[in-house]
Amino acid sequence: MTVMVDDNPAPTASPVEVPGSMRMREAMSRFAPAGALFVGVVVLWEVVGRIFHVPEFVLPAPSSILRVLVTRQVNLGYAAWVTAQEVVWGFLLSGAIGAAVALVIARFATFGRALYPLVVLFQNVPKVALAPLFILWFGFDLAPKVVLIVVIAFFPVAINMLVGLQTVDSNLVALMRSVGASRNEILWRIQIPNSLPYLMAGLKVAITLAVIGAIVGEFAGAQAGLGYMIQFASTQMQTSLVFAALVEVSVLGMLFYYAIEWIERRYIDWMPHTA
Amino acid sequence: MSAVPNAAALRRLSADTGAPSTAALAPAHISARGVCVDFTVAGRVTRVLDDVSLSVPKGGFVSLIGPSGCGKSTLLKVLAGLLPPTLGDVSVAGVAPIEAVRQRRIGIVFQEATLLPWKNALDNVALLMEVAHSGRTNDEIRDRAIDMLRLVGLDGAEAKRPAQLSGGMRQRVSIARALALDPEVLMMDEPFGALDAITREEMSEFLLEIWERTKKTIVLVTHSIDEAAFLSREVNVMASNPARIIEALPIDLPYPRNEDSYSAPEFARATARLRRLLKEGHRQAMAA
Repeated sequence: MTVMVDDNPAPTASPVEVPGSMRMREAMSRFAPAGALFVGVVVLWEVVGRIFHVPEFVLPAPSSILRVLVTRQVNLGYAAWVTAQEVVWGFLLSGAIGAAVALVIARFATFGRALYPLVVLFQNVPKVALAPLFILWFGFDLAPKVVLIVVIAFFPVAINMLVGLQTVDSNLVALMRSVGASRNEILWRIQIPNSLPYLMAGLKVAITLAVIGAIVGEFAGAQAGLGYMIQFASTQMQTSLVFAALVEVSVLGMLFYYAIEWIERRYIDWMPHTA
Repeated sequence: MSAVPNAAALRRLSADTGAPSTAALAPAHISARGVCVDFTVAGRVTRVLDDVSLSVPKGGFVSLIGPSGCGKSTLLKVLAGLLPPTLGDVSVAGVAPIEAVRQRRIGIVFQEATLLPWKNALDNVALLMEVAHSGRTNDEIRDRAIDMLRLVGLDGAEAKRPAQLSGGMRQRVSIARALALDPEVLMMDEPFGALDAITREEMSEFLLEIWERTKKTIVLVTHSIDEAAFLSREVNVMASNPARIIEALPIDLPYPRNEDSYSAPEFARATARLRRLLKEGHRQAMAA
């Protein structure tokens, strides 16, 4: 999860200003293979569907999914808005709680020894099975989804950040102690900055889990959202709408993921990036 | 100040006792007497250091050399106040090492530069000053950090991050950081061990320059015979099984030393003697 491969030699790490057109061309060449493959698969899907006359309620052709995406864009847009809110709130809370758990375990050794096994134990509860309980306790709106996301997604944040807090150079800590630095100063000046790249790795896992959590939460009981829409449409045999909602879920997930990666590149620039 | 101990007397002493002591000859800035360190691993007690004594005069330059695992780094940790000895007395500048550390009399340099990758050279040098609560203002800390970088020949590199610096430059930053608190003693644990041969020799010459300019007392752990002989006034040769100092060899090579010192007959004599001592120690360890 946190394997960093340093493939660029150290002294050349200075940022070189690249002109916009060149950066554009670079981006093109980076995404071109993925784009070509995507187009190829979609075309194949369309062609196979037409040749074999696959019924629309079994596997709709890309063209009819696209049609639904356009004609039902208002409904889909609203559903995406509802789901996005669940994802964002759930993700932010997961990040905050995960980071807090890591900090508490790292800072207060005894309490950490008490807390850590319980966190691991809780991690092994199948949390999807908790969804109906959360609906029972918190209703059909935002709250149960956010809670479900948090219990699913805080763990990778906590574990990754904890690793970052604990893998500090012991000699450096000895130096800090030798000049009278307090535990809090060492935490603040060394451990927390050191943990940020690890935290970001955890957040990237958490955001994908947050999307899954939101959809599962809506499956368990909801009145709106993409997950609700998928479930509703599949009972109505509106398979094109199911796929259209899936497309929106995927796009949503990707947007969130790349937003986090952007923040990482922008603010944590001392770690070598893996392309 | 009789900083240079009488070489003949020293040799006689170390030949007599096996454990050298220059304490009688010069006022000791750092002294260790009968130091033992035991480590307990899985319930078994291992003696990592056995009855080690040494003495370093003020402004002296002493090396600890020996095979890997002979306890030379452990001895340095004891002298630097990072590890309490199981037995024995240690004093640095007249007080216990822990107290000397508290009074900021000891600066430490490790094999790895241990810099913060997210901070530039200037902020890395300032780090320990900032947490030391020494009463300096931020401006004073900044000015001193700039001075220290200039002292180690890194003026102009203030804004560079460790990733933008070479291994030798990183180690210079680390030395600047140690000097920033103006310690009397510099404890260095294989500071150039991770550098290539050429950079290593350059850094040796650089360290001598720093030593002559700042008049610090330096204790250096190394496993390079040439480095030990080139730099030090006295080399403490260590052997393992049990871990101890087998000889304190004075190096009669005049300062200031430079590239030419490597071809001086005194240098050849010293390195030959060191080589023989290390081999002897190795043979004994194998036999034991």
